[in-house]
Amino acid sequence: MSVSLVEVSLAAFVILAAIGTAIFRDVMAAIVVFAAYSLGMAVLYTLMLAPDVAMTEAAIGAGVTTILLIVTIAKTNRSSAEELIEVIHWPAVVVAGTFTAVVAWTVFEFPTIGSDEAIAWSNPSVTQHYLTYTYVETGVTNAVTAVLAAYRGFDTFGEAVVVFAVGVAVLVVLDREVFT
Amino acid sequence: MIEAVADRLLYFVVAVLLGIGLYMTVASPNLVKKVIGVNLMQTAVFLLFVTLAFVEGGSAPVVSQEAVAGRHASPLPHVIVLTAIVVGVAVTALALVLIIRLYVGFESLREDVIQEVRRND
Repeated sequence: MSVSLVEVSLAAFVILAAIGTAIFRDVMAAIVVFAAYSLGMAVLYTLMLAPDVAMTEAAIGAGVTTILLIVTIAKTNRSSAEELIEVIHWPAVVVAGTFTAVVAWTVFEFPTIGSDEAIAWSNPSVTQHYLTYTYVETGVTNAVTAVLAAYRGFDTFGEAVVVFAVGVAVLVVLDREVFT
Repeated sequence: MIEAVADRLLYFVVAVLLGIGLYMTVASPNLVKKVIGVNLMQTAVFLLFVTLAFVEGGSAPVVSQEAVAGRHASPLPHVIVLTAIVVGVAVTALALVLIIRLYVGFESLREDVIQEVRRND
């Protein structure tokens, strides 16, 4: 597969945005850069033929997470200092760098991106079953929606239970006096 | 070598983003930035899943009776990532609420300051 210019520039953008998130000392600046990072990731997901994931990431990753982070900053403090850049913690750089090197080393064992041996297709009869029978069995043309809401309906129900439990936990932890 | 890297470019992006997220969770003294680091690692894993499902020359996994024949990206990793995004936001919300509680008690978001205050008590 030939790498397109769009892909390379998006990859460079998300990595630069991630580095910016890591090194800005002002938490508000880090949050804003992180929102831009999420948006870049959403575009990358679209390039990788996952529009459903991209829409969810843009709405929830770049939207709701940013709002949650900003509300937290509003409730606490912003800790803005004179320095723009955080002091770099070199031992942690070594640890993270070693981790990255080990992960990157394993990548050469992967089949190339988009090849017929793509890892999600290592069991083609299963994946192809969903693509072939989705419309026949559920009447939904979007296979992602069909799997989410029909084939794995109970899984999605469990996810709703998790969100409800977290909602209750948030209210319990915050107590009443924090709101006032 | 260069071609082997170019063919797997996004996998390497995933590796780098995982490293940056790990650095943030380990090194940043600010608790909110630690949570952002966890979120960063999470989106890197999502990118890995979505890239694994990609097929060259395919289309998004939207099928109708006529279009079943063509190549499509696998819908199964997409679904698990959708679930993970929502659960991830729930986890982030809970973590941030606990941070707000910590701030009410210690009046700081910095890990080192909180440890200092606890030692002096």
